[in-house]
Amino acid sequence: MKVKNRQAIILIFFLLSQIILNSPLPSQERFRRTPPIPEPFPTLQLPEIQQASLYNGLTLWVVPKNDLPIISLKIIVFAGESFSPENLPGLATLTAHSISRGVSDFSSSEIEEKIEFIGGDLSAEIHPDYALFSFTFLEEYFDEALNLLSRMLIEPTFIRREIDSLRTAVYYNLLEKNSDPDFFTKRLLLQALFTNHAYKKSTFNEDGLRNITQKDIVSFFDNHYRPNNTHIVFAGNLNFNTIFRETRRFFNRWQRGESNHSALPSPEPQEEMKVCFIETPGAKDATIYMGNIVMPATDPDIFPLIVMNQVLGGTPNSRLFMNLRESKQYAYNAFSEIEFFKSCSVFSIHARVRPEVVESSIMEIFNDINLITDKKIPSFDIEQSKSYLIGNFPLQIETYDDLVSKVAEHKTLNLEDEHWNNYYENIMLINSEKVFELAKKLPLKTPVIVVAGDGDIVLNQFREFIKEVDIYNKKGIYLGTYKFD
Amino acid sequence: MNEVLNFKTKLLILCLILSFLGGSVHITAQEKKDFPFPVTQYKFKNGLHVILSEDYSLPLVSVVMAYRVGSINEEPGKTGLAYLMENLMFLGSENVERMQHISIIHKVGGEFNAATTGDKTIFYQRVPSNQLTQVLWLESDRMKSLQIDDSNVEQAKLDILEEISLRKARDPYLESSWRFDRLLYGNFAFGHPVIGSEDDLRNLTVQDVKDFYDRFYIPNNAVLSIVGNFDRKKALADIKKYFETIPPGEPIPPVPLPKSPEKKSIVESMQAPLAQSPGFHLGYRLPSPASEDFYVLSIIEYILLRGMSSRLHKRVFKREKLVLELNGGIERRQDQTRFKIFVVNNNQYMVQRCKKAIFSELHKLKTNFISEEELNKVKNMFRKDYINQYTTSLPKALFLAESFLSRNILLNPAEELEKYMAITPKDIIGVTYRYFGVESVILDVKTK
Repeated sequence: MKVKNRQAIILIFFLLSQIILNSPLPSQERFRRTPPIPEPFPTLQLPEIQQASLYNGLTLWVVPKNDLPIISLKIIVFAGESFSPENLPGLATLTAHSISRGVSDFSSSEIEEKIEFIGGDLSAEIHPDYALFSFTFLEEYFDEALNLLSRMLIEPTFIRREIDSLRTAVYYNLLEKNSDPDFFTKRLLLQALFTNHAYKKSTFNEDGLRNITQKDIVSFFDNHYRPNNTHIVFAGNLNFNTIFRETRRFFNRWQRGESNHSALPSPEPQEEMKVCFIETPGAKDATIYMGNIVMPATDPDIFPLIVMNQVLGGTPNSRLFMNLRESKQYAYNAFSEIEFFKSCSVFSIHARVRPEVVESSIMEIFNDINLITDKKIPSFDIEQSKSYLIGNFPLQIETYDDLVSKVAEHKTLNLEDEHWNNYYENIMLINSEKVFELAKKLPLKTPVIVVAGDGDIVLNQFREFIKEVDIYNKKGIYLGTYKFD
Repeated sequence: MNEVLNFKTKLLILCLILSFLGGSVHITAQEKKDFPFPVTQYKFKNGLHVILSEDYSLPLVSVVMAYRVGSINEEPGKTGLAYLMENLMFLGSENVERMQHISIIHKVGGEFNAATTGDKTIFYQRVPSNQLTQVLWLESDRMKSLQIDDSNVEQAKLDILEEISLRKARDPYLESSWRFDRLLYGNFAFGHPVIGSEDDLRNLTVQDVKDFYDRFYIPNNAVLSIVGNFDRKKALADIKKYFETIPPGEPIPPVPLPKSPEKKSIVESMQAPLAQSPGFHLGYRLPSPASEDFYVLSIIEYILLRGMSSRLHKRVFKREKLVLELNGGIERRQDQTRFKIFVVNNNQYMVQRCKKAIFSELHKLKTNFISEEELNKVKNMFRKDYINQYTTSLPKALFLAESFLSRNILLNPAEELEKYMAITPKDIIGVTYRYFGVESVILDVKTK
């Protein structure tokens, strides 16, 4: 009897289990209702960077990375636009692009063929402080790549025909950017902030290019393209000794030059608010860029600034975006950013807004600034911003190119190793008090404000908060001052 | 008697145990040991295909959820549904509020995006590795219970209509490229634009969207690919938890293939009122990507168009200075592939000269062996681009998901690469003859 009962119970269980398993599920399981709790943040092991210098002063940095048959490198030559002569803005740009346009025994086309033969990509970007060349290629062609690079850096021919063709390409590229309000509005902001500083030369327009001669390029190259003024950062599956040996083999003959690169003084921040306007008749949106000069990246205050920027406008979850776009519906986007230079940084805010609400948008931006300078940011907001910054950091160094870019940025900004090795710790130490102390010191309330938009709709709105507005064209040429009654 | 009862009891207990374990015995796993990186695939009982690839170099993980649905699955009068669904997927589901998906990914420092093509819709996110479960929760919720109502559908329609008008204003050649696709594919399903037509979009109903969602955004039409720093056991348990109880949908029959193209050339022309300069589209019909010829065609694409030293760039850009803009390459929509070239010229005279120059380069490919040096250069460029597809977690996750969607199996990338590297000058002549004949499609674009 006992056995029979047990059997019956088991049978009932079995039937019930089948009913449960085969019947439709309830509308949803409990675990779907709330997001899962994340595990603790994983540790990040940054690669160790090795460094060496050749006798001629060329500095090498090597980041070991061994999962792919590819080598990525960056060459930093401290020959940015701030080194162009006053009357020849654009010279650093033309020089940097010219070095791949012909060497002693290869023409421009042959160089292109040779780069593509090794699966290579070569590009150049010119910053105010330096020219940055990026080169990625298949690892088995390491020697060919170094040979080609050394030719370009040591014996470019600067043929007139190539310079003319390059000048035309750069001219049309700049001309095309006159249809991009983000480009010309930001350029005017930097031009206004760097009025009496060498960095202003990096805001050149297409007009000055015609004055640059072959002789100017040769002279600029001779003065600045020197091994003791150059760093190379490598990432790839090669050991340090091989890189050192091969680099020495190809770059040993590069003659060192006079070291005439004294550090530029830091530009002074704007002390009074100033408004500049660029007329873009019929534009459907207005573009706002406003900002001021702040401390360089070497300053210890840079970490509270990075966290503050994140709270204010680093992502679409930050205050500016949530206020101007989601709450007030004035803007399509609204962000803040920090741009680093060797002798300063620029903290700026930009937004693309409906033209009829330019003044209201600027006032809302000031409200958001006041919320940072006049009272402490709640700890919750600070912690959330730190979580973004820490979580996002590994995303910035995942590709070979990203990794060498990050290392190159550290080297160009003269950052200490500690900055690289302890990034997480430096961010983790920031709290509301530190951000508040910093925000009070920053010149956030006296920015240069540049707006591009339709003058008929926008211009009169400025009378609400300023007496006069400087008017510029898209090229950044001053046209006059508009004074309100 | 007791022995018999004992046996029955044991049998019943075994049945019970098996019933409760039902879920796990339906997952099948396959480890790809010969791949250049670790890959394991799983098939869940609801049809969801899962690809896992561990990479511990950084504390990151990339998650790709790809559905085998795109514009080719749309019917006449209902175009734009696939792209609209991509937009709706960010507007909330039963447990995830509107925009919460985006906000969660941003808050943890991650990145996300989505893309719709002719034959697939892909959602992806790259996040710190401790956020993997969070992403699985988000992806499973929108697969299981997307919020489709009047408000969301209207919002998505408005956003896309604005996008269409912006794209038309910015790209004066956009409508010519849509017309060219219709000519080149010669079939509604394959030839209509992914973004859809404005009229169709306006007329889409909530029911249309619900039907499309129920039909295609189901586990048995999806691939989940995860690459990065994770524990395989834990990841698999989480995937089971969040996806296994999502019911499969009806099997989806393949989209009927267009009739074999007629062996004739098509030449048409149209006006592009906003264009400042004339130009033309030129296209050829190619074989299925499963064909062996496809490897050779990929190399031909590089010979003609990839890089500043490619034949067409050198000829029409540098030497003869005939073009303002030149782009193109192989385009694939499921089994249909096409070779497309688009050119903008200064004037009509340049248009004619440019066409002659391109035909002459194609003729050279058919009649002269490519030099060993040029072929090696092209193979090196191809090899680097191919390797770059699986350099880091997100490209690798995309590569794996797309590879599986394309062929329903994962081909070994190292072996595939070998096939490209084995191509000879003879292969190139043969394949150029076969596909670049007189049966081209040309659409001239004229200015007002």
